[in-house]
Amino acid sequence: MELDLGPEIAQFRADIRAWITTHAPDGLAELADWNTLITTGGYGYGRRTAATQHEAYRQWEAELLAARLICPQWPEQFGGQGMDAVRVAVFNEELDSAGVPRVNRGMGESLVGPSVIVHGTDEQRAAFLPRIVSGEDVYCQGFSEPGTGSDLAGLQTKGVVDGDEIVITGQKLWTSGAARANKMFVLCRTDPDAEKHAGISFVLIDFTDPAVSYQPVRQMSGAAEFCEDFLDGVRAPLFNVIGGLNNGWRVAMTTLGYERGGSASTLHLGYEREFWELAQTARKRGVSADPLVRQQLAWAYSQVQLMRFSGLRTLAGLAEGRQPGPEASISKLFWSEYHKRLGEIAIGIEGTDGLIRPDGDGYPTTYWQNVFLSSRAGTIYSGTSEIQRNIIAERALKLPREPRPTANGASR
Amino acid sequence: MILGVSAEQEELRASVRRFLADRAPIPVVRELMDTTDGFDPAVWRQAGDQLGLQGIAIPEEYGGSGFSFAEQAIVLEELGAALYGGPYLASAVLAAGALLASGDEAARKAYLPGIASGETIATVAFTEEDGSWEPDAVRLAAAELDAGDGWRLDGRKSFVLDGHTANLVLVVARTGAHLALFAVDAGAPGLTRTPLPTLDQTRKLARLDFESVPAVLIGTPEDGAAVLSRVLDVAAIAQGAEQLGGAQRALDMAVEYAKVRYQFGRPIGSFQAIKHRCADLLLEVESLRSAVQYAAAAVAEDSAEVPVVASLVKAYASDVYFHVAGENIQIHGGIGFTWEHDAHLYFKRAKASELFLGDASYHRERLATRIGI
Repeated sequence: MELDLGPEIAQFRADIRAWITTHAPDGLAELADWNTLITTGGYGYGRRTAATQHEAYRQWEAELLAARLICPQWPEQFGGQGMDAVRVAVFNEELDSAGVPRVNRGMGESLVGPSVIVHGTDEQRAAFLPRIVSGEDVYCQGFSEPGTGSDLAGLQTKGVVDGDEIVITGQKLWTSGAARANKMFVLCRTDPDAEKHAGISFVLIDFTDPAVSYQPVRQMSGAAEFCEDFLDGVRAPLFNVIGGLNNGWRVAMTTLGYERGGSASTLHLGYEREFWELAQTARKRGVSADPLVRQQLAWAYSQVQLMRFSGLRTLAGLAEGRQPGPEASISKLFWSEYHKRLGEIAIGIEGTDGLIRPDGDGYPTTYWQNVFLSSRAGTIYSGTSEIQRNIIAERALKLPREPRPTANGASR
Repeated sequence: MILGVSAEQEELRASVRRFLADRAPIPVVRELMDTTDGFDPAVWRQAGDQLGLQGIAIPEEYGGSGFSFAEQAIVLEELGAALYGGPYLASAVLAAGALLASGDEAARKAYLPGIASGETIATVAFTEEDGSWEPDAVRLAAAELDAGDGWRLDGRKSFVLDGHTANLVLVVARTGAHLALFAVDAGAPGLTRTPLPTLDQTRKLARLDFESVPAVLIGTPEDGAAVLSRVLDVAAIAQGAEQLGGAQRALDMAVEYAKVRYQFGRPIGSFQAIKHRCADLLLEVESLRSAVQYAAAAVAEDSAEVPVVASLVKAYASDVYFHVAGENIQIHGGIGFTWEHDAHLYFKRAKASELFLGDASYHRERLATRIGI
């Protein structure tokens, strides 16, 4: 059943569908399975990345750019068209059903842009935003450090003001997309004497600077999608500090909280396609009549459909003008825990086939071996399941916060 | 498809909740659960006269108010939250649904207005002593008498929801190779009704023995399986809506208690051992709410998705409600496992509604079949 979002949205859907049909270059949809699930570890990633080098993709990117359909949710004066979450969701749905990609600007679009829009000066907006939309600047994230996982505010990377520059020294970790990035947004400590959350600044740096180096971190899946980065006295103009010195925590929290629900109704699509692949694997293995396997498959199907139902409900709420509450945390907890369990089910269905990897250098894996291994990261990155549960319990259920430990280790 | 809850629907929810808080609060539920019938006929009549609850999803031409199943799902949710013990699911969902699903216009005209007003209490008797929810398992025999003298039923039905308080029993019986639906008056000769002592005292079940009981055929002698199949799908979603209401109430109880109960100098809800459980339960209850809203819209639109979402909802609702009801006891600690505290009432209802109409495993198996696995 398709959600009835009213005549205006129906018209928008018809218009955007027609636009996509007219403007999508021939052969684009066939270049890659643009909208299948990409797991951590990058299964299927290579083919998609290669496809983005193709002429048809570049042409599509140019068409979208001209129509302001890159970062379309940004306000008009910053290069977007102020698309609301419902329209973004419909746009995503239509791209998916046409089999063509949404050209997004990664963390520049989802995290840096909103930060600069909310906390930047007019000059900063003019300097940084157009280059994100055009694709000239590709950002990676410099938040986590070896010593700071969930407790992000404990970060140690130093930022020292030197004249009209800031000099940044420290180590960052879990950077995805480092190889493609030319910029990094960094959290660093600019006032070591201030209270933990108070002395942090949010800075945009040149990631191609010689004082930056990075190396891949190999994951248990064998893939190396994340990097650790060494910032050895990287200089950036003070102009690149967003929201003012020592105000970075607030800027970062705005960034992380900037979730508008635009992916609500498309999140399940990749999992749904993956589910049918697993059903097919079960048939091929001759276990689809096994009562236990049938229970597991029905469970998995239900979980995917629950994602769909919840997404539609979120979308219906957005269409009625309600702001999303804890849906983002619930959704993250749901899909990451689901996928972990699915990986266990899938490798069980592979049975003895799951014991053997494909031949090849390094650690090549089958798709299901990769899901089994890489899904363990999903409940850890972007806020662990435990952090999500804290957020859900404290914000949605208003349960009391954990008492903060005092300096001498006792709680108060 | 329309999802979400309109202002009118919120109003409906509020008025049902007020009515139940006023006329059927938990102390009353506790009094009535010790009785054989399990409900107060005066409150049942008021639910019909004042709020029109029994006829909410029955078309106006049959005496109902012609709202959709989306509205009825809201009513069911509130009834489930309040542990209401009256024969609503039996009469307004199972029996009304069976009559609407049958193509028998005369039977609809004869019985639905009474069900819609609440004057008639009806139920559907289909399960037998083996407890199977499969139509194939029906053994109770229907025999046609000589031309025009109607039918006689012989056999036994069990686990009949409100079977001893209904005054109209719709019976699924075997007519040779096929199944058919029959109407039996509660006072018919040869019918013996035995109330059964139930695990969940707020939900009454009966055994019905038929010895050459006169019955009126509804529809054709062949279409009983199709009617039953449709009714059971809608009933599974209706049960899911009740389970959602119960699960939400049990979660609210647990969260409320976690805020006011102090141990080790802190509210227990500040401990992650408790708050993380509550967060997981909220995830489940919210997901169930999304599923029930979707499923109710599917029934309202008579979507082809109904069979799939019915089994999906019944399986998930059964898991979720029982999980929440169990954790509610645990979070309440010592008081949680006393008779005095209400937690056990939800726990028992959770298990009873899980087992009724097929448990989670049964519905997952059906779901697998229905999606082509």
